Amino acid sequence: MNSLLDQSSLFLQQLVNGITLGGVYALIAVGYTMVYGVIQLINFAHGEIYMLGAFLAYSMVTVLGLPFLAAFILTILICSGFGIILDFIAYRPLRKAPRLAALITAIGMSIFLQNLAMMIWGSQIKSYPRDVLPEIFSKTAWNVGDVTLSWLQIFMLVITIVSMAILHLVIHRTRIGTAMRAVSQDKTTSALMGIGVNRVISFTFAVGSAMGGMAGILVGLYYNAIFPTMGYIAGIKAFAAAVLGGIGSVPGAMLGGGVLGIAEVIGAGYISSEYRDGISYAVMIAVILFKPAGLIGRQIGEKA
Amino acid sequence: MDLERLGKHPRLFFLGLGLLAILLPWLPMGGSTNYVLRILTTAVLYMILALGLNIVPGFTGLLDLGYVGFYGIGAYTSGLLAIHYNMSMWLILPLAALNGALWGTLLGAPTLRLTGDYFAIVTFGFSELVVLVIRNELWLTRGPMGLPGISPPSIFGHPLTRDWEFFYLILILLLIVLVVVTRLQDSRVGRAWFAIREDEIAAQCSGVNLIRYKVTAFAISASIGAMAGAFYAKWFKFIHPDMFKFWESILILCLIVFGGMGSIAGTMLGALILIPLSEVLRAVLPQGLFSARYLIYGLVLVLMMRWRPEGLIPFERAQARKAWLAKERLKI
Repeated sequence: MNSLLDQSSLFLQQLVNGITLGGVYALIAVGYTMVYGVIQLINFAHGEIYMLGAFLAYSMVTVLGLPFLAAFILTILICSGFGIILDFIAYRPLRKAPRLAALITAIGMSIFLQNLAMMIWGSQIKSYPRDVLPEIFSKTAWNVGDVTLSWLQIFMLVITIVSMAILHLVIHRTRIGTAMRAVSQDKTTSALMGIGVNRVISFTFAVGSAMGGMAGILVGLYYNAIFPTMGYIAGIKAFAAAVLGGIGSVPGAMLGGGVLGIAEVIGAGYISSEYRDGISYAVMIAVILFKPAGLIGRQIGEKA
Repeated sequence: MDLERLGKHPRLFFLGLGLLAILLPWLPMGGSTNYVLRILTTAVLYMILALGLNIVPGFTGLLDLGYVGFYGIGAYTSGLLAIHYNMSMWLILPLAALNGALWGTLLGAPTLRLTGDYFAIVTFGFSELVVLVIRNELWLTRGPMGLPGISPPSIFGHPLTRDWEFFYLILILLLIVLVVVTRLQDSRVGRAWFAIREDEIAAQCSGVNLIRYKVTAFAISASIGAMAGAFYAKWFKFIHPDMFKFWESILILCLIVFGGMGSIAGTMLGALILIPLSEVLRAVLPQGLFSARYLIYGLVLVLMMRWRPEGLIPFERAQARKAWLAKERLKI
């Protein structure tokens, strides 16, 4: 009986951890999915924006000595700027080129940024110094039986949910959001209707990158580790989440992130922790093979 | 070097280059012969890898981000067969190629129905899974301890150990791969691939079976990658999961993009320039910065796509040269 209780509380704990992690995957996945929605490009460099977010915040709190919240907000702003610049210098010139060219550019940018970060910050794992973080982060908020929920996890969940809600409102209730949806349906017609397509694409990159940078800081806090290659693994997992939910669909990205986060934590706990990353790849490959439209996406996997 | 003329007379150029390669081990180089030979063996190995990868993005127009997975499969096939069965390399090379083709077909058959982006991401996931399996299945691969003690290849009972012997060996392999790839390019299969690359729908309408030709391309590419891996294991005598990481796929892709996607001469030239360059960087850059050489590769990908997407020796010109040669033959 007792061991059964242990089992169930272990499961609950992993569920909690999985949901926290899944929220962050969803934040990154939104960036992939929105960009794919408007320009049909897998922006491989998105994972690097996430990594840069973590490092920028790190430099701000250590080198510049800014308070954590200020660094958090500033980093988000800078990351959205990065997104716009990335689109402007790398992708915009290739808008009319074959898709292969844009994909290769995306991969190239990703490799370039990753190694740039390695040159600037070095390849060792860094962590946010404890004394500059709000003290509350390291405290336990909730303790039911063996299940613990830290304030940091609550902070992550709240940030995730609030930004998703704002994003939903922006997409469905504002002019620019309407323009975004129009562009994702048909670029040419949108342009004819007087929508500044490039402006909308820039906006999409800005929003996606802001959320990516934010996710970078949150994960850096959660795992207490930031390193130049962190964007590559997280980026692929988030992409898997976007695919799982149905690429191009924002609610899909949220759902996909949640499901993937839980699947990963539970899989690592019950199947094999060595294959922790493998679970995301396997889920992604399986979804692409058997249900390319994703859980709630429209069918775009096969060529029309 | 005048690339325009190189594009017109590659046969002469490569004949000269081949002759130079054969004479190379015997040229006086002031004691650095073995060093130079090792670098060139690496460069030729990457030429083979690049020629293999080129079939998928270059000929068929699909982005393959998991090529190194097949390289790893080939290397471990070779290493394990050599260690457990003490098999001869002449048996190992075809077996590794076969194994690569098998995995290529298994992966390609279901995924090649999807659009290019999905295919790219699935191949990436596959190569990461290959590395994870190699790393974690200790009973088979010894995981992160690597696989040491692979016996060197031998010819008629004479084991190959010297650098020039390996150099000649890989030149022979290159020649075989080159013949296969050129013949494929000029064949019915090659024309079907180019048709798919230019316009899938038009190709399908002209009776090209998309899935079959795409899977063929992917499987042949995978088998060349696996064979290169098999040679690598026999040459280096030690293999480790970290040797087959995603970075390698990017490097090989970079060689193709730099040299000219789809162009055989360009692909080889790309490897011949960039691989020795990375050795130069190893010598010049301080230890910590050497790993950042991929920064340059990333930049090469971006800049080439922006300013010269056709690469150093463009494919179109290779086609034009062939048309010109055909006309010349008719004259005689």
